[in-house]
Amino acid sequence: MSYVKVSQLAKHFGDVTVFEEIDFTIEKGEFITLLGPSGCGKSTLLRSLAGLNQVDAGEIWVDQENITDTAPQSREIGMVFQSYALFPNMTVLDNVAFGLKMKGINKAKARAEAKSMIELVELDGKEQFYPRELSGGQRQRVALARALVVKPRILLLDEPLSALDAKIRKSLRLQILKIQRELNLTTVFVTHDQEEAMLLSDRIFLMNEGAIVQQGKPEDIYTKPVNEFVASFMGHYNLIEAETANQWFNLDSQQKVAIRPESIYIREAGRQYGDHISVAKQGTVLSHQLLGNVIRYSIEVEQKALTVDLLNRSSERLMAAGSSLELMFNLNEIQPVRA
Amino acid sequence: MDNNNLFFHKSVVYGLSGLLFIPILATLIYSFSSSWGATMLPDGFTFKWYTQLLTDPRFLEAFGRSLFICISSLILAMVLVLPMIFVVFYYYPALDKVMNILILLPFAVPPVVSSVGLLQLYADSSVQLVGTPWILIGTYFTIALPFMYRAISNSFTSINLRDLVDAAHLLGASTTKAYLLIILPNLKKGLLASTFLSFSFLLGEFVFANILVGTRYETLQIYLYNMRQTSGHFTSALVMTYFAFIFVCTWLATRFSKGNE
Repeated sequence: MSYVKVSQLAKHFGDVTVFEEIDFTIEKGEFITLLGPSGCGKSTLLRSLAGLNQVDAGEIWVDQENITDTAPQSREIGMVFQSYALFPNMTVLDNVAFGLKMKGINKAKARAEAKSMIELVELDGKEQFYPRELSGGQRQRVALARALVVKPRILLLDEPLSALDAKIRKSLRLQILKIQRELNLTTVFVTHDQEEAMLLSDRIFLMNEGAIVQQGKPEDIYTKPVNEFVASFMGHYNLIEAETANQWFNLDSQQKVAIRPESIYIREAGRQYGDHISVAKQGTVLSHQLLGNVIRYSIEVEQKALTVDLLNRSSERLMAAGSSLELMFNLNEIQPVRA
Repeated sequence: MDNNNLFFHKSVVYGLSGLLFIPILATLIYSFSSSWGATMLPDGFTFKWYTQLLTDPRFLEAFGRSLFICISSLILAMVLVLPMIFVVFYYYPALDKVMNILILLPFAVPPVVSSVGLLQLYADSSVQLVGTPWILIGTYFTIALPFMYRAISNSFTSINLRDLVDAAHLLGASTTKAYLLIILPNLKKGLLASTFLSFSFLLGEFVFANILVGTRYETLQIYLYNMRQTSGHFTSALVMTYFAFIFVCTWLATRFSKGNE
């Protein structure tokens, strides 16, 4: 049996359904991301795992134990909040040692364990600082140490990086991943940032409107979206009506198809393309956006605007609006999607 | 031109504060002078009035009574308000709006009106309350309530109450422990500031004390009122002593509200 098993979990606030029929399993040591737009129910689901919200139906099992109605105090689940939720009246050391103190572990031992955890998050020397004296990234690392020191069975991270600036966010997420691997921690991470989710996760549970619409490895979710929502949330997929797609690619699809912008080629004279990259279409450049390493073109093909991403190899290749060109499609990357 | 402006601003500010300080200064000088009648300057300076005041057992008793009443009502307010605000903010956040209206009521009704109302209400009560300090403690509690509620609810909004309690729960703390170990220490600043503020306010309260209790339980303000016929030098010394005390309280309040950073 899996380490964590959630079945038929449902939660309502009055008449509003927050989530319904949630089923998933998590293996020990897995890094799972609950990904979805704001308001999709991912944070409430996370809080329900922690026991901070009651659920209306369904069961949560951890390590062969039904914890659906267990109080948060005895679930042995750690959580890191977006707002850090550090205790402002306590030093870093006291914050980290708090959970041990509540367990009744003696002071000297608690201090020693807290100290080694503070070292793990690379904050040694800051033990006597108060949270207000630390930067956002440091605070979040204290919060991480505080959650980890009690050796939780599951670590929950509720958008822990959202309040931080880009640079800190990037370094901290790698640090989280490193610690997670080191301690073989079963982790559930909540975010609305698909890049973060793909970078960190073993598996992603993509949520929308209170349901998990697709779960799987990051590469599968990214390359094989099951429906339009996943396609538009995970990337800048081009969605093409069934009729047009059937005509262009000689398919027999009842559904729309999704094509990733980076899987479309702009034909270069003299270059050989593989057998699966065949269909050529005439197009006109409408506009382009320079994203740094990538140039994102908007190209019109038979009155349909397509997004095409090209690596920004050299500035000479930048094509002005109005330029004519030929697009090549990789047939293996054309993905039928449900509405 | 900037300098001229600055000079103008400064002279207005200093001029006004000077003007406001003249009566206080005059009272101070008067309280130190042996006699100051038909002459421009006092005849001489003396500590006589202060010695007389501070050795008057009636003054010391009145002062003690005032302290007793103020401190009791503030303790009562604290014991009731702190858990109440926690319950309001943690369990029923929507009640905050209702509370904000409720706590203004003691101020909406003029003291003269509400004291007469209280007299009527408690005059026929089987428990003798009117004329005892207990009715005053109860009344002062309602006056302290708005100060306390405001300041403490501000402290509550400045901390992330729900997340802090949730974090404490997940680390194994009960709600009571979370309240005592985490929430309460963070309210210290607001609590102290509002306590000192209400304290200085209550110490100077006269209307309720006079109507509800009067001379049967002589507080500081009633004493001051009863002493109005005696020497002006003496009452000046009394007023200055009171001023000094309030000043220290206010100073402490601002110190605590600034925090200890």
